[in-house]
Amino acid sequence: MMQTMQFRAMNTDILLAAEGGGAVEGMQTVKTFIDDCEQRFSRFLPESELSRLNRSAGEWVHVSNDLLEMLRISINYYFETKGIFDPSILTDLKWIGYVRSMDEIRAGGATLPPLTSKRGHRPAFHEMTFHPADNRVRLPRNMEVDLGGIAKGWIVEKAAYLLNTYSSACGVSAGGDMFFIGHPSDGMHWEVSLEDPRDPTRTLRQLRVSSGAMTTSSVMKRTWRQGEEARHHLIDPRTGESARTDWLSVTVISPDIITAEVYAKAILIGGEGELKNLLEARPDLTFIAVDPDGNLLGTPNYKDFTYESTTDALSSIGIAD
Amino acid sequence: MIKRLVKIGIRFWITLASVGSFVGGWIMLVHAPKPAQLSQPAGDAASIPTLEPLPPLSQFNSANNNFQPQQFFSVQPRQRSFFRTGGS
Repeated sequence: MMQTMQFRAMNTDILLAAEGGGAVEGMQTVKTFIDDCEQRFSRFLPESELSRLNRSAGEWVHVSNDLLEMLRISINYYFETKGIFDPSILTDLKWIGYVRSMDEIRAGGATLPPLTSKRGHRPAFHEMTFHPADNRVRLPRNMEVDLGGIAKGWIVEKAAYLLNTYSSACGVSAGGDMFFIGHPSDGMHWEVSLEDPRDPTRTLRQLRVSSGAMTTSSVMKRTWRQGEEARHHLIDPRTGESARTDWLSVTVISPDIITAEVYAKAILIGGEGELKNLLEARPDLTFIAVDPDGNLLGTPNYKDFTYESTTDALSSIGIAD
Repeated sequence: MIKRLVKIGIRFWITLASVGSFVGGWIMLVHAPKPAQLSQPAGDAASIPTLEPLPPLSQFNSANNNFQPQQFFSVQPRQRSFFRTGGS
């Protein structure tokens, strides 16, 4: 019997699902783990480890093994994606108004005053330096790092492995980042609804995945207005502004969640122009993009993960709503 | 020569056996007892129950009827299908 738990953390909805005798206890433990991680890695909490690192740009800072690991992973993906994935866009993100959590921005009507300053210069992410022997990191002056997605993915995967120690099969979802271990007792796959980015209440297709990760990046989730400009949180590092994308969302299926997270973002930002280069680096990835008309496209194998749900089938023959 | 005689013999035997079996079967059927005829009067037959006529299909489309075709189906979401891609 699958047990579930839902709560809010990291400014997003968390969903835990697990089977097995220790499922409930495991989910309580995982909730505590996720709450602790948020305290450490949120850029919105002034006392978090990440905030302290950002405040200390220009100086050597001692960081935990976990933060060091995330930063090193980030720099590797920064080079692999040729800078399309870039956690050092935080100054640009703040420049266009994302200075508070999305929950707070929405509470204020998601409308911000227009820009009054020009975009400032920021150093390139690869100028960050490490001293791994004693866990020290130095951000160049004027650099701030937003681990956002990569930290969320990292937390989700760790949480899933933690939950798996209490359960026979489990899944963890944090607002688009999902990681599954094992398979449910009533089937060989986990079923995931591919949300319509134009209307979150609608489902475009049902997806079936096995153990591993699935993450989605969308330009429709975290949006606001800054003066007359429509903004979203996915910054194109080449322009420093909200990316103008070919698609509304990109979902990536991959064995590991950091790869899925990075490439969902990079494919969405890079679009068709960068697609060939990005997939050359990761030919084993599966991605599904949703265009502004709700059409799906992606790697040739994406249809292996989709199926027509019972409801869809009834609808197609005019029985269901 | 012997081989040829054997072949002719087999053909003759097959023909004779086929014709003999056909004629034997015919004679058996001719002499078999005929099946009994049902000759009971109609009034003794058990009365056949009649079913209520089905309502016309148009009734289901009337405005004051709550008939919903999908009510015949119980489409329950499977327990693990509550994951949604969402996005961030």
